[in-house]
Amino acid sequence: MKNSKTGYLGPQILNTLLPVGLAFFIGGIIILCIGEDPIEAYGIMLGKSLFTAKGLLNTLHYASPLLLTGLAIAITFKANIFNMGVEGQLLLGGFFAGIAGASLDVSSPILAKILCMLVGMACGVAFALVPAILRAYFHVDEMVVTLMLNYAMIKVLEYLSSGPFREAGSGYVCTPIIKEGAMFERLGINNSRLTMFFFIAFAVLAVMAFVFRNTRLGMEITAIGKNPEFAEATGMRVRRKIIILMCISGALAGLAGAGHMMSEKFKYTLAFSGTTGLGWDGMLIALLGRHNPIGILLAAIFFSALKTGADNINMYTSVPKEIVGVLQGLIILFLAVQFLDERFGLRERARKLKSRKEA
Amino acid sequence: MSFINGIIYDSVYHAVPILLCVLGGIFAYKANVLNIALEGMMLAGAFFSVLVSYQTGSIALGYLAAIGACLVIGLVFAFFGVTCKGNVIIIGLAVNMSVTAVAGFVLQLMNSANIKLDFANAADFKIHIPFIESIPILGSILSGHTLITYISFVSIVLIWILMYRTKFGIYVRVVGENEDSAKSLGLNTNKYRYLAVLLGGLFCALAGTNLALERMTIFTNGMTAGRGFIAIAAIYCGRGDPLSSSMYAVIFGLARALAVNLSLYAGAAAAVFDVIPYIVMTVVLTAVSMIKYRNHKARGVA
Repeated sequence: MKNSKTGYLGPQILNTLLPVGLAFFIGGIIILCIGEDPIEAYGIMLGKSLFTAKGLLNTLHYASPLLLTGLAIAITFKANIFNMGVEGQLLLGGFFAGIAGASLDVSSPILAKILCMLVGMACGVAFALVPAILRAYFHVDEMVVTLMLNYAMIKVLEYLSSGPFREAGSGYVCTPIIKEGAMFERLGINNSRLTMFFFIAFAVLAVMAFVFRNTRLGMEITAIGKNPEFAEATGMRVRRKIIILMCISGALAGLAGAGHMMSEKFKYTLAFSGTTGLGWDGMLIALLGRHNPIGILLAAIFFSALKTGADNINMYTSVPKEIVGVLQGLIILFLAVQFLDERFGLRERARKLKSRKEA
Repeated sequence: MSFINGIIYDSVYHAVPILLCVLGGIFAYKANVLNIALEGMMLAGAFFSVLVSYQTGSIALGYLAAIGACLVIGLVFAFFGVTCKGNVIIIGLAVNMSVTAVAGFVLQLMNSANIKLDFANAADFKIHIPFIESIPILGSILSGHTLITYISFVSIVLIWILMYRTKFGIYVRVVGENEDSAKSLGLNTNKYRYLAVLLGGLFCALAGTNLALERMTIFTNGMTAGRGFIAIAAIYCGRGDPLSSSMYAVIFGLARALAVNLSLYAGAAAAVFDVIPYIVMTVVLTAVSMIKYRNHKARGVA
């Protein structure tokens, strides 16, 4: 962690805020173009979901799966592996957690919940294992494989939910509602939707932060990300680490899906993961949070506020809620570029550029 | 006979968008700027071709709008990836997300789930070649396809010539393989990278136009369904060679055609056949990667 050592924190924060600002600026121009007031629209989007007690608690509720998907992507980015299958792993985990929740006959509600979460995680791991093994043993680019298999997974789940597992009495495609024992009840603070799942997600984040900062596995993964040949030469088993890492990532994604199922959706529908998809949101969160646990927490809360705020934007203005997706794409686009060099700052960079030109 | 003809015709039909994406992507691949944005550019091509045709009533303007939009996206991609030296994979995914979101945004403003042209239908776009049409097999390969279909197959040869027989192609490959030696030759490396990405934009525009305007005259969001990623897999399999990468695109077309035609007999499980093309491509990619790695080892370059 760079920022814990010295004062790189300033440019790092600027590097994060600048893209967000730019994206909001361009988003504002788009809103102006369709004849609405951008400041009013942003006010509605962020005001209620961040600055009222109930709104903030709801925001935390919706941030819970995002915390986990953000983490799932961040840990693989760290080792320079691209697990783009988080969306598919989340859907699979959510789906089978839902099937387990609806069909398992367990009297103890705690046991039921734990079982459902384990099913979700196992599904996520199983789906992540395919690209992991292909990558580790056959040198297949994991990014391309995961990107393609996401679509295959969506098709399979479409078939399963409209065929074998369809709820017979329902007018649209969905699976049976999970049993009450498997649901995370609302805690009822301020009438909000907040459930235990947020605290579970938070605990997982804390554990992962500890693992990556203080254990051998964490160090090795960072080393692999920086220089895989060197890591191999010093005796680390890179193949095995890649598989472990993809499994952890898949488990986190599966847990996110299971939690989303048990705390919010209660049944699998074709729109289970929302318009942009919780897995893809995770990518924004990992990048915005700079792969750092506190950053991921803040980014997840921020983006969740934006998303929940957008849900009621249509009540007050004619701005489509898809504006969130536009902002999301723009933020990621700007985040891909380092505006300020974290180590040297802008001035140093300009000087280097100048000297390169002279040479 | 009609079953086989159907499969052959469908193979050509389904191969075209992928083929165009492959042809658009190989120059970027050779220039060492992996263009993950193929998917988003293709969707943008599909979206703008139908949207502009719908608004203006002119099909020709639809074609032009798609090309214009994709070139603009290509410029943005190249500016962030080449000039600002950002992470091209992240930029590509950002482009894919933004295009989907913008299309969703506009559809929401128009208050509809899709855009459908009412003054034209897909049959108008098919070019029937008299005589050849009636020859078995050959007829379904050569006749009854759309303009862009013919362009795409001719482009395989054009791209091959451009890559191996022109200065431009050689320079792009040098830039990708060894940037330092390209610079020492006095090449403007960024220029070749920009051109490689823009070429990708042009071909993706054609792919999108073919997919939405020519085939169905309808745009629905997300209709590209990962074809851009499959194209990238095909490029990886063919290692950026125009002929062999195109061959993998046609294999995909065949897989898809088989899936579509066989699913007619599958009844309730028909939906599962949609998965076949993705699985086939993953298996092919695995096989090619294994062979490639083995060859590397044999030569001791690991």
